[in-house]
Amino acid sequence: MLCLRELQRWKPVLCRYGNTGVRSFAVAADEAGRTEGGLVNMENPYREPQKGCVLCDVTVDFKNIQLLSQFISPHTGRIYGRHITGLCGRKQKEVSKAIKKAQSMGFMSVTHKHPQFMKDPNICGIKHLD
Amino acid sequence: MPRYELALILKQMQRPETAAALRRTVETLMERGALVRDLENLGERQLPYRMTKHNQRHSRGTYFLVDFYAAPSMLSSVMDHLHRDVDVVRPTVLKKDAQVPNSNCCGPQKPLLGKTVLHQNR
Repeated sequence: MLCLRELQRWKPVLCRYGNTGVRSFAVAADEAGRTEGGLVNMENPYREPQKGCVLCDVTVDFKNIQLLSQFISPHTGRIYGRHITGLCGRKQKEVSKAIKKAQSMGFMSVTHKHPQFMKDPNICGIKHLD
Repeated sequence: MPRYELALILKQMQRPETAAALRRTVETLMERGALVRDLENLGERQLPYRMTKHNQRHSRGTYFLVDFYAAPSMLSSVMDHLHRDVDVVRPTVLKKDAQVPNSNCCGPQKPLLGKTVLHQNR
């Protein structure tokens, strides 16, 4: 009987849209956020926390050449693009600017990666044929 | 808060000569009304590329970092003086900005102490 009453309430909505694939069931909610049927208005409980990039809580400095060398090619010294490093926009810009600054100030080499930093772990998603 | 940062690369010299060059540099800054806050020695190492300055080719040098408060008008005269100094290979003055708080970025900023390396979390 309860179902019949609900169907009668939804009937005008169904008639208006016809037999479409998408049906929006707008259910009336009371003040406590509960509706008939036991649904509670809350945010998605299965929502995963937003993932950040690798450098999200790390300050990028031109003096820290070991960190900056992780984002350049070991063979040519070129700065990797965003699709390889996987950094967010802001951090990619900061790293890129810091590398150029370090190179012009005489802290970091332009054409190659310092041999001392060759054994560092590979953050960027690029595999070299060694 | 330091307003400027001088990244100084000095020629490869003996210790008393390096000390004399540093003293000269800091005195130059103070003469022009700067307040020197901090002087760091980043060590003597091989330069990333060979630099030519004052008709000399340098392959090794000593790195120093000078934090100082200064008026913007005296910077050009300081740079002029440093470029004319024979013992200085490369002087660079940078403005030191306060850390911008990241509201949109995913977490609070933690400063890295010294040179550290990131490991991939996968």
